[in-house]
Amino acid sequence: MSEPTNCHNANQTCWSCPAVEFKGHVDFRACGQAAFRKAAEGQLVVECKRRPEIGYFDPTSITFEHCTEWKKTDSGYLLDGMRVLILGMDGYLGWPLALKLAKLGCKVYGIDNMLRRKLVAERGAHSVIPIETMENRVKAANKELGVDIDFKEIDLLDRDALFSYIKEVQPESIVQFAEIPSAPYSMADVDKAVDTIQNNVVGTLGLLFGVRDHAPDASIIKLGTMGEYGSPLTGRPLFEGLFPGDAVLQYKGEEWSLGGELTPRDPVSFYHVSKVQGTFSVYEACKYWWLRSYDVMQGVIYGNHSDELAAHPSLATRFDIDEWWGTVVNRFVAQAVIGMPLTIYGSGNQLRGYITLKDAMQCITRLIAAPPEPGQYDVVNQVTDVMSVRQIAQTVAMIGAEFGLDTEVQRIENPRVEAEEHPYEVIHDKLSENFGFASESSFEDEVRGMFEVLTQPEAVARIKQQESKLFPTTKWSGEVGELKVLETWKPETTDKAA
Amino acid sequence: MQISDESFEDHVLKSERPVLVDFWASWCPPCKMMQPVVDRLHQEFTGTAEIVSINIDQNPQIAAEYNISGVPTFVSFRNGQEVARKTGALTENQLRKMIAAAGEQQQAA
Repeated sequence: MSEPTNCHNANQTCWSCPAVEFKGHVDFRACGQAAFRKAAEGQLVVECKRRPEIGYFDPTSITFEHCTEWKKTDSGYLLDGMRVLILGMDGYLGWPLALKLAKLGCKVYGIDNMLRRKLVAERGAHSVIPIETMENRVKAANKELGVDIDFKEIDLLDRDALFSYIKEVQPESIVQFAEIPSAPYSMADVDKAVDTIQNNVVGTLGLLFGVRDHAPDASIIKLGTMGEYGSPLTGRPLFEGLFPGDAVLQYKGEEWSLGGELTPRDPVSFYHVSKVQGTFSVYEACKYWWLRSYDVMQGVIYGNHSDELAAHPSLATRFDIDEWWGTVVNRFVAQAVIGMPLTIYGSGNQLRGYITLKDAMQCITRLIAAPPEPGQYDVVNQVTDVMSVRQIAQTVAMIGAEFGLDTEVQRIENPRVEAEEHPYEVIHDKLSENFGFASESSFEDEVRGMFEVLTQPEAVARIKQQESKLFPTTKWSGEVGELKVLETWKPETTDKAA
Repeated sequence: MQISDESFEDHVLKSERPVLVDFWASWCPPCKMMQPVVDRLHQEFTGTAEIVSINIDQNPQIAAEYNISGVPTFVSFRNGQEVARKTGALTENQLRKMIAAAGEQQQAA
């Protein structure tokens, strides 16, 4: 319907295309280490796996815009029938991404060990929006959207199965969403902390060897989190993973460039520690083996909407609201719907970056469309808004009032160990400047959309069934006992701007 | 400004002005992050010094000839001769000093 407006990757060349193979003796070495190469009798050349009839050629001579294998879409040029492997396809993000990419013409493959469903059930909770089995989801995607998605139930830690699937699929892009995504879960007890580290850290490490051996040209989209950075009290900006070229370290009258070095990480739970370790593993793999990756520092995600999900109820993605598996905005909307006070931790002045599900899916799609160059490790901060928890509660209460809800806000003792008053300057330029990302949603509209769905009687019932799982109980200190309520109030719900 | 194996001679060796060459690679994060700084200096010194970048993977001949053993490597030239080289990311001040030193070499010559 609409003309593609933004082709951020038009000028990328075969140099970064996963469908080419570098030919000749190429001896790529680590950054800052010996880079002396024997390659060279003349230019480095490539062969296109899709168009071998062209023969060997200079990889910088053809742009995506001019290659017949790259087709113009709303998300930039996209490799025709690109093979994308989504790890963790059954999850909150994995499933909407699968639908979006399939609809765009990608060949989508996915694995999942269905662990999330099991862990949520063990918690005595469930997705507020009912979701189908994976078998039915794949059928529904075919029926409602006319797409074919290939799913295999494989555990990321089952390396034999994983590697043979990678070998079979020959993915051109791999999205690593197969991680346990809960900070409080990772802090609840030793078994859960170890599970989180084991699955996330060991799983990602194993994956990297599989990519090296079976799909070395695939781009790896690794999901990290803004929580990897923490919130430095000095106010130092949260750069996009690496220091910019004009960052300078001065000490005792001398100066050094910090350009390109990884910025400090200061994780805020053992789950975040697992993400930081993943960052280092991916960074090293790119260095040692010339793999290529975008490490995505995603803000706190919320919402339940995407165009593909909206096509039919049987395509819905999960929507968790309990203390462990729900994210803050989703949880606040659910609390408001059943008249429970919105629980903010400590002062409520903690600032975090946020993004809607729909925007996050657009970002990931654009990253897949514009692969990094061989050996390139890069980081993007995937955030659209920075808000305090207090602001979020205020807005949720205000929009709840539009639905006739009378919402209170409650400050409770902070179960986490975190700064409650801190500066927070997030740099998030790359997605919009380099990848053509433009937000398609706003906080208020997304919250309104969630209220519309969650105030339906069936949803209200499904929230009430797990009411006891909404109030937080997991303390970072390991202490057991109820969290004290510090203050309760009713926010002003008339929109002053109106 | 990006140059290549083919244009190296014209841009660097035959230049009448001092030259700073940034040997870089796309897989090298410090190289990537230095690029805006290098581009900025290229703009600023237009007419007085040449500031150019060359991708070592795409231009392996020159990289081998100058024995580039790590990236980024900054090499300054004067009258086709190498004046100084430094490997690793540098601050803008350090780059300016390299350019100035290559300029002084000119007066001495």
